[in-house]
Order: sequence, then C-alpha cells, then structure tokens
Amino acid sequence: MNATTVPANLYAAVQKRRNRGLAGLYLVVAAFLVVYAVLFPGLLSVGGFSKFTQNWFPLALVTMAQALMMLNGGISLAIGPLVSLGAVIAAVTMGGTLGALGGLLAVSATGLFIGAVTGGIVAYLRLPAIIVTLAGSFIITGVALILLPRPGGYVPEWFSDLLAGHTPVAFGLLVLLLIGWKLYLATPLGVGIYAAGNNPVGAFRSGVPVERVKVFAFALSGLLAMLAGLFVAAQTGSGDPVIGTPFTLNSIAGAVLGGVAFLGGKGTMRGVICGSLLLSVMINVMFFLGFPPVAQYVAQGLIIVGAVAIPQLTSQWRTRP
Amino acid sequence: MNTVKAVFRNPPLLTLILVILVWIVASLTLRGFGAYGHLRYLLELSAVIGIAAAGQTLVILMGGIDLSVGAVITVTAILLPLISPDSDPSGLAGIVLTLGIASGIGLLNGVGAAYLKVPPIIMTLAMATFLQGMLVIIAGGSAVSVTNASVVWLGQARPFGVPAGVLLWLFVSIAMLVIIHRMPAGARFLALGANPLAARLSGISVRRDTLFLFTLSGFFAGLAGILILGMNRQGYVGIGDPYLLTSIAAVVLGGTSILGGRGTYAGTIPGAILLVTTTALITVVNASPGWRSIMFGSLILALLLISGREARR
Repeated sequence: MNATTVPANLYAAVQKRRNRGLAGLYLVVAAFLVVYAVLFPGLLSVGGFSKFTQNWFPLALVTMAQALMMLNGGISLAIGPLVSLGAVIAAVTMGGTLGALGGLLAVSATGLFIGAVTGGIVAYLRLPAIIVTLAGSFIITGVALILLPRPGGYVPEWFSDLLAGHTPVAFGLLVLLLIGWKLYLATPLGVGIYAAGNNPVGAFRSGVPVERVKVFAFALSGLLAMLAGLFVAAQTGSGDPVIGTPFTLNSIAGAVLGGVAFLGGKGTMRGVICGSLLLSVMINVMFFLGFPPVAQYVAQGLIIVGAVAIPQLTSQWRTRP
Repeated sequence: MNTVKAVFRNPPLLTLILVILVWIVASLTLRGFGAYGHLRYLLELSAVIGIAAAGQTLVILMGGIDLSVGAVITVTAILLPLISPDSDPSGLAGIVLTLGIASGIGLLNGVGAAYLKVPPIIMTLAMATFLQGMLVIIAGGSAVSVTNASVVWLGQARPFGVPAGVLLWLFVSIAMLVIIHRMPAGARFLALGANPLAARLSGISVRRDTLFLFTLSGFFAGLAGILILGMNRQGYVGIGDPYLLTSIAAVVLGGTSILGGRGTYAGTIPGAILLVTTTALITVVNASPGWRSIMFGSLILALLLISGREARR
C-alpha cells in the first residue's frame, strides 16, 4: 500500500472491510422485508409502517444496548430486567407532579446510573460483566417488584399517542439515535470502545482511558435498555414488573445476527440494527404465515444457528487451499 | 499471615470457609437452622444445583458456557414420565432412555460448537429456544406426575440416613474430580480453555473434546432433571429455569474463571451449597419477593467480590 494515499483512503478501506461480512445479512433482511410486504401490503401505508416500526423499536434499542456491552468484550444478562424497570419507573412517575417529562428524566437518570455503577464494578473491581449483570438482574428485578408489585401505573394518553400512535415517530427517533451513535464514535470515549474491546492492554498502553470508556459505554447501554422500557410502557399504557424478560435473549440474538463478535471490538451498529430488524421481521412473517407460536421458537433457534454458522463455514471454505 | 494469603489465593477453600462460617453463624442465631434435618434438606437442594453445575463447570473450564442447562432439565423432567415403558417395573429403562436423550441434546450442542463453529453461548441459547418450542408440543402446558419406581426412590429414599440425591452428588463429585485432576482428558480441557490455538497445535483434537464436553454437560443436566423430578414428584414447563443461572453462579462462586482455563469442581461444590444457604437465609428473613430478590443479588455480588475476581492485568 502506498503510504501517502493512506489517510485519504483509510476510512473507505475500513468501511469496506467492516461491511464485507454484512452483505449476506443485508440481502436476507431485504428478502424478508419483501416477503413481509407481499404478505401484508398494509406495511407500505403510513399507519402500517408506523405500527411495524413501533413493534421493532424496543427490540432495536435493547439490541443496541447489548451490542455496546459486547463491543466492550462483555455480555449483559440484565437487559430484560432493565426494560422492566424502565417501564415500571415510567408508569409510576408519570402520574406525579412532573408528568411525562419527569418520568422521562427519572427513567434516563436511573438507566445512566445503573449502567455506570455496573460499568464501574466491571472496570475497576475487575469482575466479568456476565457475572455482574447476572447478580444485577436479581437486584433490578427486585427494585421493579418493590416499586410496582403487580402490573399497573399510568402513562398519559397523549404520550402514548405521540410515541405509539399512527405516526412513524419511533422510526424518526431511531434515525436520531443512529446519528447520535455516529457523533459518539467521533469522541475519544466512543472510538475507544473498539480499541478497548479488541485489545484492552494495547489500548491502555496507547493512552486510551480503558476504564472510563467502559463506564461510559455501560451507562449508555443502561440508558438505551431503560428507554426501551419507557417505550414499552407507552405502548401498553401501564407498567409491568416482568414485561422485559424475553428481551435479554432476543437482544443477544439480534446483536449476534448483526455480526457483533463475542470477544469484543468487532461489529457495527448498522449491522446490529439490521440484526434486530431481521429478528423482528422474522417473528412478524411467521405470525402472518399462521405458524403456531411453537414453530416460531423452533424456527428462531434454527435461523440463529444458521445465521452464525453459514458465514463461518463459507469463510472457512474460501480460505481452504 | 502466609496461611491467610494462601487461603485468599485458593478460591475453593475460601468458598468452603465462607459456607462453614455462614452455617455456624446462622445456626447460633436462627432457631432451627442448625437442626440436622434442616441442614440435610439444604444439602439435598444443593445436590440438584451441584449436579447441574458439574457439566457447566466442564464447559466453562474449556472457555464456553451452556445456556441450555435449564431447558434440558425441564425436558428430562417432562419426558421421563412419558417415555418410561410400563413393561419395566424397575423404571431403569426410562432413566437410561432419558439420559440418552439429554446426552444427545448435549452432543448436538457440541456439533454446533465444534463443526459449525457457532459460539457456545449462541449454540446453547438457540438450543434452549428450540427445546422450549418442542416442550409445548410434547407436554401441552400441563404438569406430568412421575410413577417411575427408581426416580421416586432417588428423590425420596434415605439409605443410612443420607438422602439418595446427596449420595448421587457425592458420586458425581468424585467422578468429576478424577476426570479433571487425575485423567489426561482433564488436562486437555483446561488447555483448551487456556489457549485453544496452542492446544490444537500441541495435537489435541479440539473437535472431539468439544463434543465430549457438551455431551457430558447434557448428561449431567439430565441427571439433575431426574433428581428434581424425583424430589418434586411432578414435572412441568419451567421447572428447570431457576437452575440455569444458579449453575453458572455456583461455578463462578467456586473460583472458576468464566473465561476458561482455570478452576476446579472442588470449588463448585461449596459454591452450590453457598447459593442454597443464601436463599434459605433470605427466606428466613420473611421479606417481600422484591426485597428477597435484591438481597439475593447483592449477596451474590458481595460473594463474587471475595472469591470470583479475575486476575489484574
């Protein structure tokens, strides 16, 4: 490679390399979307599009939250409980004096706080993230159960209509989030995620504040998961202390489908968004084809394994002499 | 001073000392905790976690994780009453069949991890999802009662005053310790976890060992499922769910590195007892489910800070 041309082409080269493994994913997602649009032409209307993106939105948020943890070389088993807690806090606070804005602030602050504390424990006390979030999931579930022992609470109707009504507000928020992610990646703490996840020792020696990068990424991850809970509360109009349970496994599945590596430092947010979209469309398509819920579980298991195994096998086959 | 340091460097011993301390303090302060019957009951409950965590220990030692343990326990607990042939009064045929199926599920996990190169966490997660779907087809959501004589004996009998489940756990523990520390296979598993590439280059058949490890994990989960079925007398969807996270927690509390390559089943044994004791103590406090959950999580976190820390860089 010619040294003088590197700065100009480096960005393009890096992007090309990062997209390489994702081409198959884009194709599969596109194919599923076409099938879905054929089965359910209403998708192409504003109302249908809004409803579809609203079903997808919380899954996209938790998958991004999980991806942030996995880019750091960890994995979170507390995503589901965080979603539940977000829904519970929203439903409990929004009836108070500060209303919807107060609820939004309370949910955001709690999410950032829990994430930062988890990140602090992982980064400074050097416990593995999977174990800390495992213990954390019990604590978070407990807090949610104390705040709201049974489903209930209140979310203002106008707030539900704004987020989960007949307008594609959720999709707009997702686009804003992706722009926010790009901006975050331009900061030292953002770009450090990849360095610290891929090679913590090397990153540390090159001056990346590895611990602070972790704490920030965990805090953002907590924020995203809790906001997903807020959105779920807006969708259902109330809070439920166990509503988030399925999100833990789905967030891992989405992130892995999106090509995030387990050992950290590899993966892109666009892949993650596509992964969560694939999972969401898959569930919808199977529902419309009249699959019983049982077959959905089975198919989901098979597709997840296939999505991970096929790229692995083809790359192996390609490199074989 | 040196002995104190040595204890802190030896997580299995540290966990064991923690268990003994907790038992002594609880026996002195709580009425009925130190009674022989109660302690025996705690050991019986620990046996289920301990056996389920045996396979988990092996998989974590080689650097993987098995998220299908809970699902396999549920599958065996529901399947066993259904497939035990009536023509066999001893019930052993049903047990052998069920353990075969559980091992087969583990083998499939191993095939995914070894040949399809799916990361173990994903392979076992997908397997758990898959099994969850199959269960609804098989059981249809209703609970099944066990009449199998051997299973009932395993869950209820007390030869020489010791519950059969605890004896089974003792047997599993000895087998595990021999495999890990006295057999070449154990050395290979640890090598795989410490550095898979180096292990492969030194002539270890990574594929064969991965298959073997996951098959064993399925087998032990099945064994735990049969034991809990015998203790419960009923199998239902969700019966194995609590054992997934507790099996991982027991392994890590015992000082085994979640990253693989370092650890021993000798730590998992007191780890399982510690978990059950913690739950029992929290039940004694008589708090609401929310507070109980918070206490359980905080205690695990505190225990981990003592025994489960990764090495500093």
